[in-house]
Amino acid sequence: MSKQMTEMLKGTLEGIVLAILSVQPEYGYEITARLRDMGFSDIAEGTVYALLVRIEQRGLVVVEKVPSEKGPPRKVYSLNAEGRAYLDEFWRTWRFLTERLASLQKKGSR
Amino acid sequence: MFISRFIKWVIGEKKQWRQYKTRAKQLPASYRTALEALERYLMYFGTGGDGTAIYADLLDLFEQSAANRTPIRQIVGEDPVEFIETFVRNYPKGQWILRERERLTQALERAAAEQTQGS
Repeated sequence: MSKQMTEMLKGTLEGIVLAILSVQPEYGYEITARLRDMGFSDIAEGTVYALLVRIEQRGLVVVEKVPSEKGPPRKVYSLNAEGRAYLDEFWRTWRFLTERLASLQKKGSR
Repeated sequence: MFISRFIKWVIGEKKQWRQYKTRAKQLPASYRTALEALERYLMYFGTGGDGTAIYADLLDLFEQSAANRTPIRQIVGEDPVEFIETFVRNYPKGQWILRERERLTQALERAAAEQTQGS
């Protein structure tokens, strides 16, 4: 992943993870796996984990501990009402940003 | 009252720390080495008031990663310093740096306000 990609991802990863959780509740490892499937191949497990800790502390997700056959209990994350509201705001911000950038790109290529 | 609460707190922390250490010892060698390196860094860097939670969460991460056989590089990424410092920022409770940030913000506010009045 390029340096630029890493930097841009920093600002959007929270929204991406919330968007993944809005489809269905997930384990931390599944979230990382999904991100890798989406093409973010270099994303670190710890980066996603730290982000999950943060959104949990901010009260955007509900966490349920589920016993697993190997290793410690796994945490399942699902979006709550605050998380959904935050995600809606993320998409509004994202639309604003992409529209502006698209028009800037169009002007620049003329 | 205060003394007894203090003793209880110290004993509680010590107990949690011993439990953490016991679990950390059970990790596969390379995961343990990585966790101990992060632990050492945190000792110097500081975790603020909420020291036990961050160690417990890091341990959870390494236990899960060991169970899933996630390579260490894939856990912490290419830059372990950035990883741990981002991680620490999730635990701001009682952290001294928060007070200093507050102090900095207020000092700049005062300076800016003085300037507006002066001009």
